[in-house]
Amino acid sequence: MQAPALPLTEHERLLALQLTGLLDTQSEPRFDRITRLAQLVLGSEIVLISLVDSERQWFKSKQGLDACETGRDISFCGHAILGDGIFEVPNALLDSRFADNPLVTQAPFIRFYAGVPLSRSGERIGTLCFIDSTPRTLTAKEREIATEFAKTVEQEIEDRLQEQAHRQLVASELMYRSVLEGTRIGTWQWNIQTGETLFNQRWAEIVGYTLEELAPISIDTWLKLAHPNDLTESAALLQAHFDGLSPFYDVKCRMLHKDGHYVWVHDRGRVVSWTTEGKPLMMYGTHADITEQKNSELALLQSRDQFQTLVSNIPGITYRCLADENWTMLFMSGHIDPLSGYPATDFIGNAVRSYASVIHPDDQDWLAQAVDEAMTSHSPWQLTYRVLHADGSVRWVEERGMAEYDAEGKVAFLDGFILDVNNEKTLQERLVKLTQQLPGVVYQFQLWPDGRTAFPYASPAIEKIYGLKAEDVKTDASQAFAKIFPDDLAAISQSIDESRHQQKVWQHEYRVFDDEKRLKWLSGRATPELKPDGSTLWHGYIEDITQTKEYYLRLEALNQQLKVAQQCLDLASEQAKIGYWQASLKDGSLWWSPIIYQIFGFDPNAMTPSVAMFKSAVHPDDIVKVEQSEQQARLSGIHNVVHRIIRPDGEVRWVHELAQLVPEEQNPDLMLIGSVQDITDRMKLQQVKDEFISTVSHELRTPLTSIHGALSLLQAGSLVQLPPKAEKLIGIASSNCQQLSRLINDLLDIEKLVAGKMLFEMREMNISPVLKRAINDHKPYAAQQNIVLALELPSQVERCLLRVDEHRLMQVLTNLLSNAVKFSPVGGKVILSATLVEEQIEIAVQDQGPGISADFAQKIFQRFSQADASSAKMKGGTGLGLALCKELVEAMQGSIGFHSKPNAGARFFLRLPVLAHQQSETPKK
Amino acid sequence: MQLAKILHVEDDESIRIIVEMALVDLSGFTLCACESGVEAIAQVEQFAPDLILLDAMMPGMDGLQTLVKLRGKDSCRQTPVVFMTARIQQAEKQQYFDAGAVAVIEKPFEATQLGDELAAIYQRYLLTLTPTNLE
Repeated sequence: MQAPALPLTEHERLLALQLTGLLDTQSEPRFDRITRLAQLVLGSEIVLISLVDSERQWFKSKQGLDACETGRDISFCGHAILGDGIFEVPNALLDSRFADNPLVTQAPFIRFYAGVPLSRSGERIGTLCFIDSTPRTLTAKEREIATEFAKTVEQEIEDRLQEQAHRQLVASELMYRSVLEGTRIGTWQWNIQTGETLFNQRWAEIVGYTLEELAPISIDTWLKLAHPNDLTESAALLQAHFDGLSPFYDVKCRMLHKDGHYVWVHDRGRVVSWTTEGKPLMMYGTHADITEQKNSELALLQSRDQFQTLVSNIPGITYRCLADENWTMLFMSGHIDPLSGYPATDFIGNAVRSYASVIHPDDQDWLAQAVDEAMTSHSPWQLTYRVLHADGSVRWVEERGMAEYDAEGKVAFLDGFILDVNNEKTLQERLVKLTQQLPGVVYQFQLWPDGRTAFPYASPAIEKIYGLKAEDVKTDASQAFAKIFPDDLAAISQSIDESRHQQKVWQHEYRVFDDEKRLKWLSGRATPELKPDGSTLWHGYIEDITQTKEYYLRLEALNQQLKVAQQCLDLASEQAKIGYWQASLKDGSLWWSPIIYQIFGFDPNAMTPSVAMFKSAVHPDDIVKVEQSEQQARLSGIHNVVHRIIRPDGEVRWVHELAQLVPEEQNPDLMLIGSVQDITDRMKLQQVKDEFISTVSHELRTPLTSIHGALSLLQAGSLVQLPPKAEKLIGIASSNCQQLSRLINDLLDIEKLVAGKMLFEMREMNISPVLKRAINDHKPYAAQQNIVLALELPSQVERCLLRVDEHRLMQVLTNLLSNAVKFSPVGGKVILSATLVEEQIEIAVQDQGPGISADFAQKIFQRFSQADASSAKMKGGTGLGLALCKELVEAMQGSIGFHSKPNAGARFFLRLPVLAHQQSETPKK
Repeated sequence: MQLAKILHVEDDESIRIIVEMALVDLSGFTLCACESGVEAIAQVEQFAPDLILLDAMMPGMDGLQTLVKLRGKDSCRQTPVVFMTARIQQAEKQQYFDAGAVAVIEKPFEATQLGDELAAIYQRYLLTLTPTNLE
């Protein structure tokens, strides 16, 4: 057997094979379709696409064979790839190269083999081969077909590679995009010649827009958003890039964000193509948001500036000087000594003045002495003294210094730092003054583990608080403790212990005796600080709160009284079944007392008070009445109504609601405060009373009817002729009978009015006809008394519309007119008049009677009041007439009154509101 | 047509006497006086009144009940009824009108004018009955 030789370009061939990416991949329909077709067309038992690898041949597609590879040494294909054309073995048994080949001697018992080489990049990477177990020779036509199939396979390999490359391209573009998205970088493309520009979504987002919002996009979009001050630099950089002076156009500039602020962006781009004339054509670039980076840079710059300013503003100097009496300066930091106000150069070598000359004369000696001592003991010094400033002021400074010694141990020079502590010194002084102003004592209190106590510092006010001087307690606090009220000692010790153990603020109220042995209340507060020696030092403040405490105690007592009062009120309201409530017309909130739940039968646990809840309980027939009262309350501030409610259990109860709107100026929340009283029992009584009155009036009227009828018939004279004396007696009886009848009527009316049960038929009307009728009705009676009745009715009154109950108005007029006639002297005159006074009609009845005495004027409108008993007998009045008139007029929204002078007549008037004025007189029918 | 026959129903004897004097002696009407509703129902068909004057409050059968019974009689279906009552509140009076009364006379009434008043009521009633007579 002869193993195939290796081609000359075996290395390149294997590389070309690797690059196809076919080895060890799954079978693919695109290849299997070709081998199957070739098998059918050429009628071969086995058709393979065999790829010849370094040590093996591997079958990408196979028909009629199960194995997927064989060794290259026994392969036929290894031979086939050595030449250009078809490699044919008509009968392997007769070919010495293959006769003993295991593929021939064993399955698949190859006899015939034909392999067409498959080329890729000029290298033969394998074959399309045809195998039979019987000897065979291909015809020329068959060879042509085999060759065409091989070309098709080559094309498929090429197509497959193209597709793969495309897929990779797509994948890499996707990756590139993801990376761009991840870096939040915008991209742009610009056709410099046409101005056509493309941005991606991110570009737009950096300036707060969407691409749609920026459309139409052109280079002007960029120009419009860029900061005007950055345009010149940007244009110059662009030109430099176009001119080939820079490899990239690279600029950092500001762009206007949609919100109105500027964002910093970093634009970087490059021309990628040029026109044939050598002009830039396309430019691609990126666009990154560097606002944060830019802001950090700016912040850094700013903080560096601040630092430099700070350093230059340190209120002090560093120096090096000789240890002589002039403090001869060798070096001073800064140009001007901020402490003395002179130039530093003045002091260097004592050019103009020595540093010793600016030290306050009072401080010079002790200062020199202190520095000498420090030099001798080789220790640093820290000294506070005064310097005379050039402006004449004196400034406090603090100096920290140290001597430098030479090899022999002598002082070479002094180095130091002098700080302006004028502010601290001033502050300290001010603090002391302020502390003196405080009503209480500012103090430090120290407690040592062995129980010793002291007030190391106490402001002068300690005298007011404890009656002691600061010196008295500076090292021992026991005198202060002696002042504390013994009952409070234990608690104060405990609170101090707690504060010390827990290192928390001490706060306590306690009592002390003052010099007159009176107790006063103190309140203290201090913060503890643990000292290295184990003691605790408190810094705090104690003040006298006696007055506040007294107010507080008094308030407590008042609160207690209020509580008792509240309990009394609750008890009383429960006993009387009066609930009270308050509602805010402003925010709709409502509160009611527990008794309301009881009255309404509400379950206090199952509901919260609400106006709707309240309204839902109102008896349907009474809703209008309640609403009318509420409307009235808006005008008058008083809500007063009696109505029925239906409780959840169906029981009907009567309640009396009374509420008042507190005047607005004292009532910012528009609080309506009211009460609800269960008056069911009273209403039942009322009902009984009503029935009683109704019955009584009937029972009284029935006999009265007989008496009156009998007397009338007798008086008529048609039935019987009476002797004159009898006639006179009958007259007296008849007149009294009439009076009794009127009394019953008036009584009934007034009862109804008071109970609010009188129904009024209010309607809009002109009252002129009523006035005329009243005059006419009274004329016969007046004529009997020889009295003239007159009516004064101006035309303007005739045009007014009023809202009244005609029948009740008539009743009032009848009362007033009959009174006037009754009290007028024989031959007198009674005038009924109506006038328009502002927006009211005043109806008046003027008589010429004796007038009304001052005593009677007080009670004229009260029930059963008459000027004197004799007049009642004389004039036949019931004493109810005027009281009734008042009730009736007020029920019609009017008012009643009178003017009178003794013996000059009386003028009774009533005023009723005008509803409207008729424009013209109504046409007469 | 003139008012001639009046049926008066009243439990109070005094008032019956007064009404009789006023209507018969003063005004010349024919009167049938009954002391209860039951008596009135028994009398009405035979007496065939032009008008019925009915007291409202009576023991046993009251005025309203009597009226219902009277209306049950064929001859009495159209006879005008005038109530007389001591309960003179508007609401009380209204219920008599609602029951079909043509007028309500308040007690105490004017005995000397009762006849004229009833005659006038009767005339007004006739006018409502025959609207063509309006002219």
